[in-house]
Amino acid sequence: MMLIAGTVPLKDLPLTVGRAAAEGDSLVVDGRRIPCTQGTAAMATAAVVATDYLKLDAPQVLVVGDTGQGKGSREMYEYLIQNVARLSPQVLALHYCLPDMALTRRLCEAVKGCARRPVMIADAASMYAAKAAGLAPSFDVFTPDATEMAFLADPDATHPAYIAKHLFDTDVTQTPKLVEAAYERKNAARLLLVKGATDYIVENGKILATVSEPDVPALEPIGGTGDTITGLLCAFVHAGLELHEAAIVAAKANRMAGRMAGATPATRVSQIISQFPAAFQQYLCQWSEVCYSQGGQR
Amino acid sequence: MALFKKKPPFEGGGLVLFMDVHDAMAGEKVLKTAGYAVKLVAPPPQLRRGCDLALEVNLVEQPGIERLLKEKEAGYVSVLPMKPGTSGLLEVVKVTDFGEWTMVKAANMKLSFEKKSGLIVNTSGGGCPDIPYLHAEMIGKRLDEAPRPRDLGFTLCALMLDRALDECLALWGGER
Repeated sequence: MMLIAGTVPLKDLPLTVGRAAAEGDSLVVDGRRIPCTQGTAAMATAAVVATDYLKLDAPQVLVVGDTGQGKGSREMYEYLIQNVARLSPQVLALHYCLPDMALTRRLCEAVKGCARRPVMIADAASMYAAKAAGLAPSFDVFTPDATEMAFLADPDATHPAYIAKHLFDTDVTQTPKLVEAAYERKNAARLLLVKGATDYIVENGKILATVSEPDVPALEPIGGTGDTITGLLCAFVHAGLELHEAAIVAAKANRMAGRMAGATPATRVSQIISQFPAAFQQYLCQWSEVCYSQGGQR
Repeated sequence: MALFKKKPPFEGGGLVLFMDVHDAMAGEKVLKTAGYAVKLVAPPPQLRRGCDLALEVNLVEQPGIERLLKEKEAGYVSVLPMKPGTSGLLEVVKVTDFGEWTMVKAANMKLSFEKKSGLIVNTSGGGCPDIPYLHAEMIGKRLDEAPRPRDLGFTLCALMLDRALDECLALWGGER
């Protein structure tokens, strides 16, 4: 079972857990409709669309309303701490929330009670908390963008707003140096998918692959396109691909969907997500050797 | 034997500094009442500015905390990272020209607008829970009519989005 957890910007949404579905421009969890916009909703919807295509069980999704004051985030952490051992997901993906170092530490302890250790994936502020608390090596995958990569490389920053200026100033060609610094300081997960003009897939400090085609620069301004990469990665890991394979396919699929959508800076992430099935149908077999005939037979 | 419930541990990474103990106690009350997790601590000597009592807070919540302390007229000196050696808040921004649109990046936050109309077409980046909320509140509004992230948001991500908005306003003002 894959479990995705994060906050959504609906003030009054109580903590809600259930198998997720995608309906129109909404993510539906336990009958509650959540607009598919930037954040956890985009990430989870991408995972739903991919698992649906792969004929796998849809992800279990934990969402809770939080518009920045942190109450929902704390409820999310507490629920996971209390229940993760019982749930024992194969993949646990943590996303938007108010980053909390102590609660992340408790969650990592609670995960040790799982029958089998889940693949631990963190993006957004869940990644910030893991790095700030010195827990990055407890995670299997981080999916930083360029500034977040600089944050991981900065030994002192507990949030990207506090990274050193010279690290913020680096361009994409400097990513390997930032990666090296992050691993040296134990501020990186086992695998990094660094999202940018060129995507870097790094495992234990070694750059395994880069993805730069198709080149769709307009993806960067579109809120949620980093989230969808992480959602796709979760789904492909759940499907049985190795971490680095899942990262490569996720990066390629996101770019291809962007091109198919004719992305501009004004495009919505739901328009990108709507192109995933076509991108999978056309390219997934070629990229991953996960091949389906028209009738859905693998 | 009395049983005491163990307090959950707290690691905030940020410090609120005060001039005197009275202000520190008042600040603690204001923040606790609003639901913030805080802990009275002694600031490290190299960070001490006023009295030897400070509040440990979640640094990510710095903008919301500062706004509340100002609203309640609770005197404080500054909010800063606990870890000596941490850089100051990023002040620089990066601008990318997308033809009809401009994207401004401040730390991990990006804001894009249509040059002709000044309409905000997207925000991206970040990871804190107020960011998807601000995304929904700001998109489709003109730069000078959009809500300010510093007013609606609570986190450092929101503060960086506000910096990006400032730069967008300056650029758009220059283009009109």
